[in-house]
Amino acid sequence: MCISLGVRVLSVCRQSTQYQTRHLLRSEHHLAPPPPPLKYVPTSRLPVSPSPPAPSVCRGSLQCPPVLGPSVQQLSLAAMPQPLSSKENSLFRQVIRNYEEKQYKRGLKAAEQILKKNPKHGDTLAMKGLIINSLGKTDEAFALAKEALTADMKSHICWHVYGILYRHQKNFEEAIKAYKFALKLEPGSPQIQRDLAFLQIQMRDYQGYVQSRTAMLQSKSQLRQNWTALAVAHHLAGDLVQAEKVLTTYEESLKAPPSHADLENSEALLYKNSIIAETGDYQRALDHLQSIAKHNLDRLAVLELRAEYLAKLGKKDEAIKAYRALLDRNSEHPEYYNKLADVMGLGDSDTNARKAIYDEYAQKNPRCDAAKRLPLDFLTGAGRKVADYPTGNDFHDAAKIYLKLMLDKGVPSTFANLKHLYSDPFKKETLQSLAHDYVETAESPAGGGSSDGDLKGKPAGLYYLAQHYNYHLSRDLAKALDFVDKGLVIVPENVEFHMTKARIWKHRGNTRKAAEIMDQARNLDLKDRYINTKAAKYQLRNNETAKALKTMSLFTRNDNANGPLAELIDMQSIWYLTEDGEASVRNGLIGLALKRFHAVYNIFDVWQEDQFDFHSFSLRKGQIRAYVDMIRWEDKLREHPFYTRAALGAIAAYLGIYDSKLAMDEVNGSANGNAEDEAEKKRALKKAKKEAQKAEREAAEQAAKQDPNKPKTSITENVKKDDDPIGLKLASTDQPLVEATKFLLPILQFSPKSIDGQVAGFEVYIRREKYLLALSCLNAAIAIDPTNPVVHEQAVRFRKALTSVAASLPAKVAEVINSEFTAIDASTDLKKYNAGFLEKHKDSAAHVVSTIKIRKLLGEDQKTCEKALFGILDMKSDDWEPAAEALGLFYQWRSSEADAFRKAAEEKWPEVTLFKPPPPPPSTS
Amino acid sequence: MDIRRLEPSDIPLIQHANLENLPENYFMKYYLYHALSWPQLSYVAVDVSRPKKSPYDYPKIVGYVLAKMEEEPTDGIQHGHITSLSVMRTHRRLGIAEKLMRQSQLAMVETFGAQYVSLHVRVSNKAAIHLYTKTLGFDQDKTESAYYADGEDAFSMRLDLTSIREQIREAAAAEDADEGEPVGEAGSKTLPVREKDLKKVKVGRGLGVQGLVEKDESKHS
Repeated sequence: MCISLGVRVLSVCRQSTQYQTRHLLRSEHHLAPPPPPLKYVPTSRLPVSPSPPAPSVCRGSLQCPPVLGPSVQQLSLAAMPQPLSSKENSLFRQVIRNYEEKQYKRGLKAAEQILKKNPKHGDTLAMKGLIINSLGKTDEAFALAKEALTADMKSHICWHVYGILYRHQKNFEEAIKAYKFALKLEPGSPQIQRDLAFLQIQMRDYQGYVQSRTAMLQSKSQLRQNWTALAVAHHLAGDLVQAEKVLTTYEESLKAPPSHADLENSEALLYKNSIIAETGDYQRALDHLQSIAKHNLDRLAVLELRAEYLAKLGKKDEAIKAYRALLDRNSEHPEYYNKLADVMGLGDSDTNARKAIYDEYAQKNPRCDAAKRLPLDFLTGAGRKVADYPTGNDFHDAAKIYLKLMLDKGVPSTFANLKHLYSDPFKKETLQSLAHDYVETAESPAGGGSSDGDLKGKPAGLYYLAQHYNYHLSRDLAKALDFVDKGLVIVPENVEFHMTKARIWKHRGNTRKAAEIMDQARNLDLKDRYINTKAAKYQLRNNETAKALKTMSLFTRNDNANGPLAELIDMQSIWYLTEDGEASVRNGLIGLALKRFHAVYNIFDVWQEDQFDFHSFSLRKGQIRAYVDMIRWEDKLREHPFYTRAALGAIAAYLGIYDSKLAMDEVNGSANGNAEDEAEKKRALKKAKKEAQKAEREAAEQAAKQDPNKPKTSITENVKKDDDPIGLKLASTDQPLVEATKFLLPILQFSPKSIDGQVAGFEVYIRREKYLLALSCLNAAIAIDPTNPVVHEQAVRFRKALTSVAASLPAKVAEVINSEFTAIDASTDLKKYNAGFLEKHKDSAAHVVSTIKIRKLLGEDQKTCEKALFGILDMKSDDWEPAAEALGLFYQWRSSEADAFRKAAEEKWPEVTLFKPPPPPPSTS
Repeated sequence: MDIRRLEPSDIPLIQHANLENLPENYFMKYYLYHALSWPQLSYVAVDVSRPKKSPYDYPKIVGYVLAKMEEEPTDGIQHGHITSLSVMRTHRRLGIAEKLMRQSQLAMVETFGAQYVSLHVRVSNKAAIHLYTKTLGFDQDKTESAYYADGEDAFSMRLDLTSIREQIREAAAAEDADEGEPVGEAGSKTLPVREKDLKKVKVGRGLGVQGLVEKDESKHS
């Protein structure tokens, strides 16, 4: 690579290009400023468009008369086969100005005026297309852009506009192609080059980005950010050596050292340091860091990196000092303690020495929590004598001190901070008995809890025990409820006790009561959004979607013209959308559910798109390490459980649509649908529509009530109509499996270790008759958990499916499947295999249900299977969920025994809402 | 509990915590804007005790402070601003908010030479006002009427960061002393120079950030 500092193709027009780029290339979507201001801020705060002086000289191919406004030059110059008269030239200039100032109607008028005389003027056609696109008519815009290109194939403006339109459509591949054409025609155009570069990095075309960045550096090498950008390009492309070299070349070109306060310099030096460290040469990284450390503005980063390098290089004494310095800064960062113990050479068994470190910092920082709590992770003492340890150095003593301190102080998160210790039975029992002791001896503060609602002393202990007995590793729901009630005697108005009570009822399966109690908790503190959120969530868990939206609307901003739901979507409230989608599934409103899951999907698209502006922004800001972190996070954006959960919901819904269509076709021998089913479908749709409307209306009313000062106009103005508000179109898709696959692929790509994802993948692919892909999901699931009951079902189903399709599979496919599908051999007697699985897992109701499903699949008589399902009610278990699944099977099989099973389940688990008789049909309103 | 700097990958759960706790909410991009403009200033409190539910769990955020530097200070003085601060109800009384704020304030001075930090708080939010004035030492500057979307007034508060600057100066002097360099006069000489330089830092528009700048900085803590 050759970069010479002498390369300067500096154009005087440069200043103008930024202006033009900013406006022309800014699709509104991307550059919309962050969230809407809460208050209207007068325009004085809006960025003022710079108006650079008209350049006096233009170089290269840019033949611009000085009279032209700056931005116009870039567009109107060069290849223009049909030169415009000066009057039209100025009109064309106006078109561009109008476009930039978003005066689309005027711009359109001016463009049409030009076209009247010059109907084949490519650039004007292109600009017209661009304006029309901004008015939302994308199809027309494309038609115009194509016409423009036909008229003037050699205009970079036409190609550039074509690229922008594709970019707007998010068809980045095509946009890149168009930009490349434009750039070929106008190699000197900085803004086309910029547009191309940012799309390349957005698309992670690293090699292309390196090329673009090299060109950009060559055309403007005096700007540091162009050097840094090229280094970033090499870095992301994996070429650490080149990245470092580019940064060094720039540094060496500096005649005077930058000011100590130069943030861009400070960051660039640390960025270079991180690249050196990435090569694994920690000695060099350390040396480099020492040379830049003194005046670096990111003090914490310097201290952390230094400690890390010293530790890696085994420089014990210095590393110890370095980690101590970090702990002095922030004693709440567990990693520092662990690293300090590591560099001190303390093993897991050196508990006394390790405890001493924590004690030291606990003493130095009386308000520090980490130093007091973290030792509980490694202290032991099961079965040993306390006398073996200095006081406080066995788990029992340390836990006692910690628990007393926290409960005296009334720290509500005490249980949350200790429950991870419960995986150790000794610690679990110790904490339980300590908490009991505490409650027995503690005083209740005078007048119950303190005035501000804190739980101190005895009620804090009761609160701990209520949570303890509600936790799945130490669950005894009756006891938990008992402690809640004891607490409520002392502090009847306490939110926390009510919250825990609601959770207890949730664990009992009584979603109705849980929602009721959580709403009581909400009413105890109406100003707190946290408890409001919980109340809404519990309502959703109880399938009360309309009520939940109403609850949510108490805290959403009520100036959103489309109501609280639109506000929640705008604010990217993924949890709400997901819970509402899942509740809608349970309510049988599949369209509505899909609507919500798609909303989550779209939010992830927006999040991916959000990085776009930062490709240029971060270079200007100079915060390169944060930018690289962001890029790497965005690369695996959809691995987030938020995505997976909503996507699994959508996949299940689409599978349901596919299966019910299939079932209907089978019943009806296809074509004309069963009249009864059709009618039922219609009824369901009508109900869905009504409910959605009602929910919207109520929530809007609620929202309107919130602020009496709010002008009414805002509700009606500017309302963008959703043409499928309750998802009817989504639910009536002809290609449910294609849609399901769209949701599935990111899970398989980014979360391959999610067993639920692999299980869903199998279901999609087996229906699509993609046997190899189904097998790959199945094998992945088996690798994650071979004993999972659903995986067992799928393995048997796959073997069974193979026997029926084997003959029709291409030889190669059959061969691969044969060698890859090893879970169940071809010669296996599936019934026996299933019975073997049952034998192994006969004490687990979930497994038993799975084997019964398989028995039915393998041809066993339905009555026998139903009888077997009744059997799970006799198993000793508090877990009611397998019974709920079994009930679902009764319904699915349209069994006459369904209600009998429900009643039997209700008898066993009287609190579970699911087993209660279905509510009477609502009287028609 | 783990208190550490915000990382971009934390943002979905920071946004989630914000949506759960506060009525003032923001798009993901606004968090990114903070994280990529002033990565040194925002901190999170993570529940490290939480048992993992899947191999893809992200650290559970139970508190955060989202902070920035004022891009174009009207008074011409470099200062920080707290955009949003919140701690989950379930994790109160551990001093998390205070600890987050202190880390952020230190970085404001170290990295950006902030002279003071400002914030807005609802006039009805007694607990927060107590934290800011009693624990952290903020002064009540003025009341801004109908600052919040629902019409509630805000107290505008600020905290002078001189004492942090002093601490840094002392630490730097001590460090120089450790290295055997001249102390005393020389030590105190270096800093005024530095401060002068700090004022020259290009901020805001100078770096061409207007495309992303939140036009309304009236965000809330």
